[in-house]
Amino acid sequence: MPLLLLAPGLVLLLGMFVAPLAAFMEYSFYRFRRGRLTADYNIDTWRRFLTDDYYHVIIGDTLKVATLVTLLALAIGYPLAYAMWKINRPALQRWLGLLIFSPILVSVVVRSYGWTVLLSDQGPVNWTMRSLGLTSEPVQLVFNLTGVLIALTHVFLPFVVFPIFSSMTRLDPSLREAAADLGAGWWMTFRRVTLPLTLPGVVAGAQICFVLSLGAFVTPALLGGGRVLVLPLQVYAATGEVNWPVAAVGGFVLLLAALVAVIGFNRLLRYSEVR
Amino acid sequence: MDPDVELVAVTKAFGGFVAVREVSFSVPRGSFFSLLGPSGCGKSTTLRMIAGLEHPDSGRLLVGGRDMAGVAPYRRPTNMVFQRWALFPHMTAAENVAFGLEAERRPRGEIRQRVADALALVGLAALAARKPGQLSGGQMQRVALARALVKRPQVLLLDEPLGALDLKLRLQMQLELKRIQREVGTTFVYVTHDQAEAMTMSDRIAVMHEGRLEQLGAPQEIYDRPATRFVAGFIGNANILAADFSPDGPDGTLVRAEGLAFRARTGVPLPAGRGHLMLRYERLRLNPAEGERARAVVRDAIFTGSAVHYVLGVEGSPIELIAETPYDGSGVGHRRGETVGLGWDEAAPRLFADG
Repeated sequence: MPLLLLAPGLVLLLGMFVAPLAAFMEYSFYRFRRGRLTADYNIDTWRRFLTDDYYHVIIGDTLKVATLVTLLALAIGYPLAYAMWKINRPALQRWLGLLIFSPILVSVVVRSYGWTVLLSDQGPVNWTMRSLGLTSEPVQLVFNLTGVLIALTHVFLPFVVFPIFSSMTRLDPSLREAAADLGAGWWMTFRRVTLPLTLPGVVAGAQICFVLSLGAFVTPALLGGGRVLVLPLQVYAATGEVNWPVAAVGGFVLLLAALVAVIGFNRLLRYSEVR
Repeated sequence: MDPDVELVAVTKAFGGFVAVREVSFSVPRGSFFSLLGPSGCGKSTTLRMIAGLEHPDSGRLLVGGRDMAGVAPYRRPTNMVFQRWALFPHMTAAENVAFGLEAERRPRGEIRQRVADALALVGLAALAARKPGQLSGGQMQRVALARALVKRPQVLLLDEPLGALDLKLRLQMQLELKRIQREVGTTFVYVTHDQAEAMTMSDRIAVMHEGRLEQLGAPQEIYDRPATRFVAGFIGNANILAADFSPDGPDGTLVRAEGLAFRARTGVPLPAGRGHLMLRYERLRLNPAEGERARAVVRDAIFTGSAVHYVLGVEGSPIELIAETPYDGSGVGHRRGETVGLGWDEAAPRLFADG
């Protein structure tokens, strides 16, 4: 019986994930020369990813984007979740939740073009900053790293806010009363009680956000202005040229980065272990 | 001696619901003081106001002679043992106990020493490195107690700390709490809905009902001389009957209740009127040598272990009374259907005039 229930998931996983992975593993050892693919097994592509500065920069940029987006989303998302939790008015909480969720309701392409308008040199954001006297020259907010970071943080925010919010609602309110009763002020209560006990939510949110940012393609393509060459863009370009070895190795590097990140984040959970 | 806690006409409402109504009492230094009442009577709210977790709408609240208005919980000389203990689940027992001292920024050596002492006091020295999830209910209760006591509060507040334990453990912890209170000499303010628990441990009991303070006194005083009909029914086992009163002599009242008529020694005569009569189970005597006041048929005999309860139908009256006799191992004395004589001491009944 349990096997029967597992079967659909297992078939999906094996057929759609493990099998293609194996195929790509093989492709990664192919040779690609002058637009032609030959089954002449070698480790040149892997070696280039490991030694060539060109790929180092791309991998570094990809990790940088994912890390910055995750940090930004946490920096904005944790206080947001905290505020939502403190509001303690269900109706208002629902509306806030919907508002936070809204980026996901809009297609990525529409959203990206929306950002190009908002963030352009003559756009409302620059206009506001100029009107407030914060800047005299237009600040370049789009078609560079800044634009990609803004747009990715915006769309991945819900994935960070909701796990954190839900870990907060599961917090026993008497724990914070106990901390106050024992002489802890707001900061000590937050640092020693609230934060460690909501860490599972932070970790879950950060993992999702980081992995999604690693794999983000449309946003860097539309808002990066060709200046943000993340790995998914490379993989896409390689696929276009039927350069399967580069696409395969790029894919594996992404997968590895995601795995390392997930494991790394999980290590944080030991601060919230209850056993 | 100065009281450690003093409430003067304290009132607290939540929305339209008045949880605590004009409550005043004072807790003598070093005493074990219980707030007793059914759920929703305002006892926990009262305790939480002393802790600073709730704020009175009106009235004055003093701890150690100092007015607590506007004083945050973490600045009060009180500490609390919470209902479900509220231990920090990600910290070990020792870290839980150390938390309050770290908040005071005590030196490391002192913290280590005081945590060890506190855990030893509650008999948990060996389990200092365990987390709450690895402890039993009784052990968690002890950690919560150590965590509060280690702060050396002037007043220790306990909010039904034994409520989640099974009966056997609860009785054991009652004695243990009493021992610890004697040992440390701290004032304990203890909230419970369990009258037996309050009786066992307290020096003084404040009985609360619907936000009001019904009676304040030593356990025996409250048991023997309940001030209101509610207290009479809530504490101990009692027969309560509607009755008519009329004065009888300089120190007595004549009581009439559906076929029963007798004189009760009440100290001062009650004015004529309606009210209620209380007769404790154990104050009724079956087949007394003298002073038989009624005859009754045994409708049921209930064996409870240490005592036998007889359900008695009073002859010539619809009144049903319950009498309790101690069980001495010689068997249940009276059978169902048997007719027995019924007597009680003139001073045994308590009378409560209506209104």
